Amino acid sequence: MTDVQELPADPDSGPRAARPGRRPVIAGLGMTELGKVYGRSPAQFAAEAVRLAVADAGVALADVDGLLTSSGVTGGVSVDLQRELGLTDLRLLTHMQAYGSTAGSMVQYASMAVASGLASVVACVFADSPLRPDRGSSAIYGTRHAGSGWWGLLGASGVVGANPMYALAARRHMERYGTTTEQLGHIAVAQRAWAGLNPAAQLRDPITLADHQASRWIAEPFRLLDCCLVSNGGIAILVTTAERAAAMRPPPVPVLGWAQCHPGHYLRRSPDFGLVSGAATAGPAALAMAGVQLSDVDVVQLYDCYTFTVLLSLEDYGFCAKGEGGPFAASGVLGPGGKLLLNTGGGQLSGYYMWGMTPLSEAIIQARGSAGARQAAAHDIILVSGNGGVLDHHATLVLGSPAVMR
Amino acid sequence: MNVGPVNRDEATSEFFDGTAAGQFLLRRCPDGHYSEPAVAQCTTCRAADLAFVPAAGGASLVSWTVIWPKAAAAAAEPVVLVIAEFDEGPWWWSQLIGADPAGLAVGARLALDFQAADAEHESVPVFRLAD
Repeated sequence: MTDVQELPADPDSGPRAARPGRRPVIAGLGMTELGKVYGRSPAQFAAEAVRLAVADAGVALADVDGLLTSSGVTGGVSVDLQRELGLTDLRLLTHMQAYGSTAGSMVQYASMAVASGLASVVACVFADSPLRPDRGSSAIYGTRHAGSGWWGLLGASGVVGANPMYALAARRHMERYGTTTEQLGHIAVAQRAWAGLNPAAQLRDPITLADHQASRWIAEPFRLLDCCLVSNGGIAILVTTAERAAAMRPPPVPVLGWAQCHPGHYLRRSPDFGLVSGAATAGPAALAMAGVQLSDVDVVQLYDCYTFTVLLSLEDYGFCAKGEGGPFAASGVLGPGGKLLLNTGGGQLSGYYMWGMTPLSEAIIQARGSAGARQAAAHDIILVSGNGGVLDHHATLVLGSPAVMR
Repeated sequence: MNVGPVNRDEATSEFFDGTAAGQFLLRRCPDGHYSEPAVAQCTTCRAADLAFVPAAGGASLVSWTVIWPKAAAAAAEPVVLVIAEFDEGPWWWSQLIGADPAGLAVGARLALDFQAADAEHESVPVFRLAD
């Protein structure tokens, strides 16, 4: 971003500012059943996810002394989750909301909390249950704003939900750089192929570029297969210190670097709209904190509410030049066997839609080396993005494999 | 598709007085910078004392999307939504009426129009291709 001051690359920033034993790691991952899972509230999914994360780490619920909560479109998850879980004397408790960037941000605050000694085992959880058996997913995110004031005016004008806003962003990129719907389709096809290797993915049948091109228009230039799923469920992770994690069961996944960028132009004139996102600022800052280069990254998990979000993020992180995201996506680098290991669980397009927990959970699975048929051979440095609003909020994480700890 | 119903509130009262009179009110600060009507301070210099002033009416096309109805409602017409840039600088998001989206290009000249869902609700700014 031209109007954001770059942070200097401080070799002692972030986790490296803490003594080694205090450095943050992810030591637990809990995923409920995801997808068309009915009859449970967001709070119930959230509580189950935290219990699963605690069990995964091999600790007791009472060991959790910090809790960060995040809710989706239906709300229902809050600091009240403490009571639901019977957690007492917490040393950290906050509800967070920066939309799709929240999961990444939760890891950042939890990491700072454990590195500073504020808390020692912090659970971060997201849950949502917008799907009901009696209505389609389009009814959920397409709800009109209340019919008064500025929001009412936007809705009355026909600008309802995320689809038109992201479509307007994508069209601007197409007009500026020549990006095509077929190029977007390559992203959808590649991620579906990855989903076929992920037992937790909701959509696992292969698709072709022709299938993408034949899928119905939602909001031009987006077809159905450019748009993410909607899922019910919950995902929680545990962030703790390296020394606490040494006594826990799973191999610890170190949090090596982090950054955020919130450009702040929503519904304002923005020369960058659709062309550059906060990833262009957050990406280099997070990599600098981790002390690694983009060329060191083995696996990439990018937030993919739409195929276009992936394409723009690839450019902004520097995997290709600005404007070259379309040709890059179509060049054969994506999908199983490609040279860029991107969204290896199928992402939100084909895997499951748990906002920023989708890329984060797959990153943890890959870092641990437990991804089965889709496991990356090299998985020491993993880049994770979260994107919220209409490209308004961005969070970047750099995670490491357990081998990087040593 | 026509525009939907919308009611004024305290923050939008003066703006909808404008649309009722066929005007789109922008915000202008003492230094003459223009901002979108919903802002609380100037988007250029952050001045907080903003006046509502009518846009001259000229705008150009920044981006567009065509919203397609679900198959079940196939009889309904697709809706073209646009980002328009007023000649004064601010952007606005609304429908483009009466245009074939196949012929659109960035920079196309747009003109303001106004529609209301019915006589009980406020007049909503929309765009047409300029003559």
